[in-house]
Parts: sequence; C-alpha cells; structure tokens
Amino acid sequence: MKKIIIFLVFLAVIALPNVSNARTQEKKPVDKCLSCHTDIGSDEAASYMSDVHFKAGVTCAGCHGGNASVEDQDAAMNPKKGYIGVPKPSAIPQMCGKCHGLARTTFRNEYHLDDVVDQFMSSVHGRALNQSSDGPTCISCHGIHNIADVSSVKSPAYPTNVPKTCAKCHSNPDYMKKFNPGLPVDQYEKYLTSVHGERNEAGDPKPATCVSCHSNHLIRPVKDPRSPVYPTNIPETCARCHSNKAYMAEYHIPTDQYENYKQSVHGIALLQNSDLSAPACNSCHGNHGAVPPGVSSVASVCGTCHQANADLFDKSVHRAAFAKAKLPGCVVCHSNHLVKPPFDAMIAFDGGGVCGKCHKNMTSDPAAGAIIAIRWTLDSLTRGRKDAEALLSRAEQLGMDVSDAVYSLKDVNQSLVEARVQVHSFAATSVESAAAPGLKIVAGAQKSALAAVDEYYFRRHGLGVATLIITLLAVLLFLKIRQIERRNKG
Amino acid sequence: MNKESKMMRWLNERYNLSLIEHFAEEKKVPHFRGSFWYYFGGVSLFLFIVQVVTGILLLMYYQPGAQTAYESVRFIVMKVQFGWLIRSIHSWSANLMILSVIIHMFSVYFTKAFRKPRELTWYSGFILLALCLTFGFSGYLLPWNTLSYFATKVGTEIVGVVPFVGKPVMEVLRNGSDVTTATLTRFFALHVAVLPALFTVILGVHLLFIQVQGISEPESWKYLPESKKSHIPFFPNFVLRDVLLWLIVLNVLAILAVYFPWELGHKAEPFAPAPIGIKPEWYFLFMFQSLRFFPPKLLGVDGEVLGISLFGLAGFLWFLVPFWDSKTSKGSRNRIVNYVGIGVVLYIIVFTVIGARAK
Repeated sequence: MKKIIIFLVFLAVIALPNVSNARTQEKKPVDKCLSCHTDIGSDEAASYMSDVHFKAGVTCAGCHGGNASVEDQDAAMNPKKGYIGVPKPSAIPQMCGKCHGLARTTFRNEYHLDDVVDQFMSSVHGRALNQSSDGPTCISCHGIHNIADVSSVKSPAYPTNVPKTCAKCHSNPDYMKKFNPGLPVDQYEKYLTSVHGERNEAGDPKPATCVSCHSNHLIRPVKDPRSPVYPTNIPETCARCHSNKAYMAEYHIPTDQYENYKQSVHGIALLQNSDLSAPACNSCHGNHGAVPPGVSSVASVCGTCHQANADLFDKSVHRAAFAKAKLPGCVVCHSNHLVKPPFDAMIAFDGGGVCGKCHKNMTSDPAAGAIIAIRWTLDSLTRGRKDAEALLSRAEQLGMDVSDAVYSLKDVNQSLVEARVQVHSFAATSVESAAAPGLKIVAGAQKSALAAVDEYYFRRHGLGVATLIITLLAVLLFLKIRQIERRNKG
Repeated sequence: MNKESKMMRWLNERYNLSLIEHFAEEKKVPHFRGSFWYYFGGVSLFLFIVQVVTGILLLMYYQPGAQTAYESVRFIVMKVQFGWLIRSIHSWSANLMILSVIIHMFSVYFTKAFRKPRELTWYSGFILLALCLTFGFSGYLLPWNTLSYFATKVGTEIVGVVPFVGKPVMEVLRNGSDVTTATLTRFFALHVAVLPALFTVILGVHLLFIQVQGISEPESWKYLPESKKSHIPFFPNFVLRDVLLWLIVLNVLAILAVYFPWELGHKAEPFAPAPIGIKPEWYFLFMFQSLRFFPPKLLGVDGEVLGISLFGLAGFLWFLVPFWDSKTSKGSRNRIVNYVGIGVVLYIIVFTVIGARAK
C-alpha cells in the first residue's frame, strides 16, 4: 500500500509541469506565420508582437485564416483550409466578431465583453460600412497589428487619443462627403476650443471626449431619439459627469445644474412636455465647443431664442448699467439653470420682486416711477381680463349669449405677451402702448357683459309688463264675454 | 250717427256686407262639456299666423347658404333689435303649432267629427298636419347648426330607405347625394315659398269646409231634440273666447321665449363626426325610437324598411278613417275607433318618452 501511494505521488509530481505547459500551449499556440514573417522582416509581424491579441494567444490565423501551426507555406496559406489573406473591410466586423461578437464564447465571458460587433453594425458607422467599403471598421479606431488595450495610452481609443482618432475621418471633408455631405467637419476644431478639449489636450483623460456623449460602438444619428445626444437626452448625458460630485470634485464647479435644470421652465418644456424647441445644455453652452457663456454674452445666448426680449434689453438703460457692474444680463433676474416661468410680481422692490436686488430705495430711486407704472399696467390688464371673464361668466349663467365678447378676450393674451416682452425695455410708455389694445378689448368685453346682464333684466321686466298687459286684456275680454253671454241669456 | 256706423255704411254701399253680417249672426257653435277641444283649431290658426309674421321678420335678415346661414341667424339673435325674441317665438310657436294640430286631430278623431259629411275636412286637415311636419323638418335645417345638420342627414337617410321611391325622393330632398349647401337652399325654398303657398290654399279649403258645413255636433246629439241642444253664437261669443285663448297662448309663447330662448348651438361641420345620441325633433321621436327597436332583419326583410313601411301603412289607414269607420256615419257607436285611437295616443306618448330618455 505504501508503495502504491509513493508511486501515485511520483506520477503527480511528473505530471504537474506537463499540465501547466499544456495550458500555456493552449493560450499561446505556436505561430509559425509569425516566425517566418518576422524572419523576412515584416513590419506587421514586428508590430504584432506588442498587440493585445498576441499577448492573449491569438495567432495570425485568428484573423487571416489558414494553419499557423505548420511551417510549410502552401499548407499554412491554403485557401481550402480557410486562409483568407487580408480581410475585406466589410468582413472585418464579422471577423472580429468571431471572438467579440454575438455568440457567447468563452473568450467573451472571460473578458466581460459587450456585444460590440452587433452594436457597431447597428451604428451610423456600421451603416456607412454597408454602403461603402471605405466605411469605418473596427481597425479604423483600434488600429491594426499593434492594437492596444483601450485603457492604455497607446490605444487610439484611449480618452486623450479619441478626439484625434475620430477627427481622422470627421475632419476630412472629402471623406465625409461620401457618407454624409451635410455633416459639419469642424467638430474637432471646435472641441479644441472647449473646456473639455483644452483639458483633454493637456492630457487629462477625464473630460468628455467624442465617445462620452455619442457612445462608442453604438453611435446613433443625432436625430434618433435613442441617441444620447438627442435633445431630450442631452441633459442626462451631460449630467452623467456634471452631476457626479466625486468625478467633478477636482474641477471645483457646481454639480446641481441638472437638478436645477429639471425644475426650470426649459427643463419642464423639454423633458416633461417633449418640446424640442426648448433649450438643452448645448443650446446655451454649445456642443463640441462647450464653454460657459461669459458675462457679456449671456444676453446674446438667451437672445438666440428670446430675440425680441434681447433686442429690447440691448437698447435699454440696463445694458450699459449691467456691463458696468459686470452683471450677467438675463441671469440677474431670471437665474441660469433654474429659470422659472416669469410672473408679473417679479417687477417689484420686495416680496419676490427682482428690481429690489439693485434698486434698494423705493422712495428716492429715480427708477421707482417706471417700476410702479409697468407693474400697474400689467396688473390692470390681468385683473381687467379676470373681471371681464367673471362678468361674462355671470351673463352666460343668466343664459345670455356673450360668445363674441368671450372670443374677443383671446386677443388680450397677445397684448399681454407683448406688454410683458416690452418690460425688457424698462420703459413704462412702451409697456403701456403694448397693453393698450388689450385694455381696450377688456373694457369692451366688460361693457358687453354688463349690457348682456342689463338685457337679461330688461327681458324679464319686459315680459312682466307684457304679461300684465295681456292679463289685463284677457280679464277685460273675459268680462266682456260674460256680459255678452248674460245679455244673450236675458 | 257715429263714425263707425258711417264707415260701415260706406262699405255696405260698395260691398254689401250685410251678407257677412247675416252669416255671422246665424252661425252657431255647439256648446257642451267637450267643446273646449274645438278651440285647438283656432289656436293652430293663431300659431300659424304667428309663424307667418315672425317668419317674414326673420326673412329680412336670414341668408341661406352653408357660409351665411348660421352667421345670419347668429346676427339676428345677437345684433338685431328683438331678433332673439322673434327667433325664439318662431321656433316655439312652430313646436306649439304642431302640438296644437296633433291635439286638434285627436279631438276630431275622438269626437268622430270626421264622419259624413265632413270626410274632406278630415282629409284636408290630415294634409295640413303632414305639411306642418314638413314645415318643421325643413325649418329645422335652416340655422345650419350641428344638430340640425345631422338630424336632417339622419332624417333624409330614413326617407331613402322607403322601398322603390325612397332613394330618388331622398336625392330630390337633398338636392344631391348628401346634405350640402344645395340641400339648405332647397329646404329654404320649400320652407318659405312652396309650403306656405300650399298650406295657405289647403288651409283656406279646410276653413271653407268648416264654414260651409258648420262645426260638427257631438255624436251623442244625434237623437237629441233641438230644444235640448245648446249653442253659442259664432260671433261674437265663440270668436271672443278664441281671442281670449289666443292671448293666453301669446303669453305662454312670450314666457317660453324669455325663459327658454331657443338655442343656436354650434355651426355645422359636415366633416365632423355626428354628435353622440343625436335625436330628431320630439314629433318624430316615437317613429325614430320604434325603428331603433326593429331587428336588422325580420322575416327576411330589412328591419328599417319593414318599420318605415308599417308606419306608412298606419298613416294611410289613419288618413282613411272616414272610409273604414262606416258604423259611426250610420249612427251606431263604433268602439273600435276609440280603442284604436287610445292605443295610438298611448303608443306615441310611451315611445316619445322612451326616445327622449334614451341616451
């Protein structure tokens, strides 16, 4: 028994190195292609030595087909045995997909790879490749023969290299014309002017690169609602970094922009009401050239949508005053990310009023008259409309037809909007002129409502008089009939 | 000699009014417990006069046409002095007139006043009722509002179901295959020219028959001695009583117009879906509701066709009552006529109520 145990231990000892060797053989099979091509001084073979695939044990035959374990050239490069030579561009994704693709291979499981090939083929790049053999493939971004891990600074897909990698095609007008002639080719140029680009150029891998916003393998057209850069998705895309306190800590900028934006009039319009005309982050900050708008350019940025307001502001006394005080235009009264719907009570010294931020003394401030007059005009219009509606409602409840007057009140809104826009001129006369047509309509509607109520009572009183006369006539007639009939009987 | 007598003498010299005076003095009206029903003929006449007067006033502003009809009625109601009152009285009096004519018809039926020698009076009265209903149907479309548009569409569709002649009649009514502005102008012409002319002629004939033959005495007076019969002079007693009732009706009309002004509704939108639960005017409701109860197919015949045919047949038999009720004219009592009449009245009331309550 003892002899048997000793024999088994001996067998185990001599077998262990063989098992270990077998594993190594399996991981790094003998690559006769590489041996020969290295011998003949091939650059590709030399590059492949540093390739991530070489380190993972993938032979030349992994991509080129054939048999890498035989030295005989005819046998190794026999098309009948699967040798394909240089793969066609259109075949590259599928070729890479043998390991990185759809099937759940041991390799993919081991390296936790996503279904990148399928994602790539669904992307704009996959579609471009389907259209033309010049289209991008895996190697366009990851390189060839010297493919490095994406976490390596050597990889073209490493964050600090991504902008240049993308720019190889996207900054090439001749190339881009083949696929999307309407697409601008200045993204990289703009990117370099952005805060993201500047930091990226300085070697910081954390700021956003192309793939941070557009995704990497599954890049969808900007107009695709599933794209991370589709208007309704942009705020969340930006928030992935900008709302991450830990990630943004070293940059010392606030991280509440997204939370504020979601509650703002813009955020509600875009995210809740799906109003694509509402601004997302890029509408004010730019997209590829994203920067915070400077103090002097805030009014211009807001004015791209609120044109009338911006024009009035530019001509107003506040333009120069704000510039002198280095106040950021619109933001002073309306805030930036947390822009709330404006309301008339904002025009006040206190109680939620924004004028009081600068105009501290109501009694001595020369602007007080204008502030009070503007507020008075707007209040007159809104209160007048409310009163007219109440009067018309009463007339309707009495059964009177006042639909013309009710309809006319719709135009008050236009006047009110124009008057509120004129507030940005900060001139009481302008606001009064804009409100004048609305005030006239309101007065007319109130008059109509009162006339309808009067008419109601006139009808009732008229009916009462008519009934009285008819009843009197009927009684007289009845008495006459009785008189005649009595006379007949007599 | 007073002024009035002078005028009468002046007229008498030229037109011999003594004949009319004599006629008025001699004409008597039976006076008994049920003579109240006689007054509905006069009420119907009064309401017709109201219709003519208010209709002429409306005609001064109304403009037929899909683009103008609704707007002109709206103008009448909102801008024309007392336009709201005239329109409401026109609409209410139209409905009251139909009600009054129906009551008048049933009172004639139950008092058997249709019997010999007044068969032609019955027939002319029946035609007047049919014309009243046509007046109502054609006038309903004229404001060109949603309800009137779709009610006309449904109504003319029902006409189209009548076997053999339905389709051409429907197209003639609509002035085309659908209810359009052409239908509106056709209905307008019918409502303000054709029907009033026909109605006036037949009404004249109807009144002439009554004046020539006198007002029918109740059936029970047949064997009563003359001394037991009570009469009142047509003029001035009956006429003054008539006028008294007309005054009351006028006041009712005024109250209805002021407290329940006739709604104008919304302008017709031919391409909009028909409003849910659309119904015809109340006087067509019993027929409409009955047709809804008919199964799609009955004994292999289309239910709607069968229903309309049955109503046509029933109306025809009703029209011919002086023919098939031969007993009454011979002086014997015919209870079947009463039972049929009660059945018809109950049927109309029950189905109208069901129709009005149906959603």
